[in-house]
Amino acid sequence: MRALVAGFVVALAVVASGAAAAPPTKVPGELRVGLSMPAAGFQVGAVRGRDVVLAKGLEVDLARLLARRLGITRVRFVNEPFLSTLVRAGKKDWDIALAQITVTPVRAKRVDFSTAYLTADQGVLVRRGLATKPTTIAALRRLQLCAERTSTGGQLIVDRIKPTRKPRLLNNPSSLSYDLFTQRCDAIVFDAPTLAVLQRQAPDRYGPLVGRIVTREKYAIALEKGSPLRPQINAALASVIRSGALKQLRRRWLGTDTSTLRVLR
Amino acid sequence: MSAPLRLAISLLAAGVVASTSAQASAPATTVEVALLQGEQVVHVDRPGSTVRAAVSALLVGPTRAEKAREITSQVPAGTPLRSVSFARGVATVDLGERFAGGRNAESLSARAAQVVLTGTRVPGVRAVRLRVKGGTPLGLFPGVVASHPLTAKDVLAPDLPPPGPPAPSAPRPPSEATRALQQRLADLGYLAPSGVDGRPGPQTTSAVVAFQKWTGLARDGVVGPATQAALAAAARPGPIRPASGRRVEVLLDRQVALLIDGDRVTRVLDVSTGKPGYETPVGSWRVIRKEQRSWSVPYSVWLPWATYFVGGVAFHEYPEVPPIAASHGCVRVPRWDAAWLYSQTPIGTPVTVIASSR
Repeated sequence: MRALVAGFVVALAVVASGAAAAPPTKVPGELRVGLSMPAAGFQVGAVRGRDVVLAKGLEVDLARLLARRLGITRVRFVNEPFLSTLVRAGKKDWDIALAQITVTPVRAKRVDFSTAYLTADQGVLVRRGLATKPTTIAALRRLQLCAERTSTGGQLIVDRIKPTRKPRLLNNPSSLSYDLFTQRCDAIVFDAPTLAVLQRQAPDRYGPLVGRIVTREKYAIALEKGSPLRPQINAALASVIRSGALKQLRRRWLGTDTSTLRVLR
Repeated sequence: MSAPLRLAISLLAAGVVASTSAQASAPATTVEVALLQGEQVVHVDRPGSTVRAAVSALLVGPTRAEKAREITSQVPAGTPLRSVSFARGVATVDLGERFAGGRNAESLSARAAQVVLTGTRVPGVRAVRLRVKGGTPLGLFPGVVASHPLTAKDVLAPDLPPPGPPAPSAPRPPSEATRALQQRLADLGYLAPSGVDGRPGPQTTSAVVAFQKWTGLARDGVVGPATQAALAAAARPGPIRPASGRRVEVLLDRQVALLIDGDRVTRVLDVSTGKPGYETPVGSWRVIRKEQRSWSVPYSVWLPWATYFVGGVAFHEYPEVPPIAASHGCVRVPRWDAAWLYSQTPIGTPVTVIASSR
């Protein structure tokens, strides 16, 4: 069945354009992109069900650049409320997914990854008015920490920080920043670039970004296991990086260079 | 009580008085549209009685006369209204893509607050559900979680204390030269007498900047040869407009405020007024309201020691007082002078905002 479908798609592509090199996307001539909004700087927008009616951010622009490199004019975005859905094993109805997805060995068994488009650490953003700003991991242990349930930050709290107070693991990043603002959390552990954008956007809602915990996470594009699109996505990404376009996107959407933040040990 | 709430209630009270005197039982014939002035929301009346009328009027923005009073809006001009519906106290307002345009975080969250504070003023509307291009916003309005219906309380002052003062940095060692400079600045009215301690620091720099602003020198806070010479020859500034009694003059061209008693300028303050597009309104005003802790609803920021003198425009403490006009229309005062200025300007104190003082 799979071969039959693939054959059909190839036939369609050949009929449609006459070009044998048309990218093997799910719907010929269209790049369907999975997102998991919101993440300040990376992807924000508006959704109706799973359909994205409006999207902007670094990853949105990056997906459009990749599509252009592949010669695809139509880009369609779909949103998954939970990142975990994007990296679950099995069939996907999107071609590529961008959601600051960190490459991990477990995830790599379930989906395929492109080469990395960003390397980032985890950041620690504290609430406003916190008396003593933590400068070590030991100091973090005594705080009410919060993170997104299925994220690297959540894992880091459990495995490495090992706090004395039970951490609050929340289902989405919006509740995370809101709980920090309303002081239900002393500190949140999340992707440093996103925290830097959040803090810069509304400096009076939060305390400072006190530092980072080095994780050197590689953000990569997820594809369905065995996706034939991967070589072309890698080539397009390499070209986007080589041309300096990705650097421009980082300046435009992220601004702050979080690799210069204090390292918490 | 929070500043915006009190303002809102006072305006509401005025509205109630007006309508009762007209006809007590008649349905509302005006809607209250949330526009911005200085750091605050001001409600202005427009004809109509529905959420649709109120939001449509919001999208049109301030009138020419309101613009002349520096009343503004962060809602992008030409934003289309796609639809409005209403069920069980929640109004759903669907706006075009333009509404989420731009990347200025404070503008984005202010415009979301404007829609919520406009919609929830319509009788029977408890909350507003925002939609953009038919979709639920996810992260579009920084600091405003618009994925569920928002009440006025959700965008009003948070139930939290404002942050305390920043941790003091280690004091620099005192020197006689610094003390002499400070004494000279204090004698001329640029520095509070309590600031004469011989130690260099931001308060002294700010006093030097105030002097440079008044004198027309480069505003770098550094006492170079030009500033040194001018300081030696300077006299205490005088009022721009002769009058009697305690009053304040805000000089937009020089970016200083003069606190005046009779014909004597008691202090020259380093301030920063409204940036282009948000100009502090020129004219003769009086202090109308004072808030030790004021919260800017549209811009989600604390304004300690706020002394309001016209609509949402106030003197208030702010961590950064750059040498140029940088605010949303308010007059930013450095933290070492803010509480003192607050104590010197009771309700009724005249405040004159002057565009050109030379």
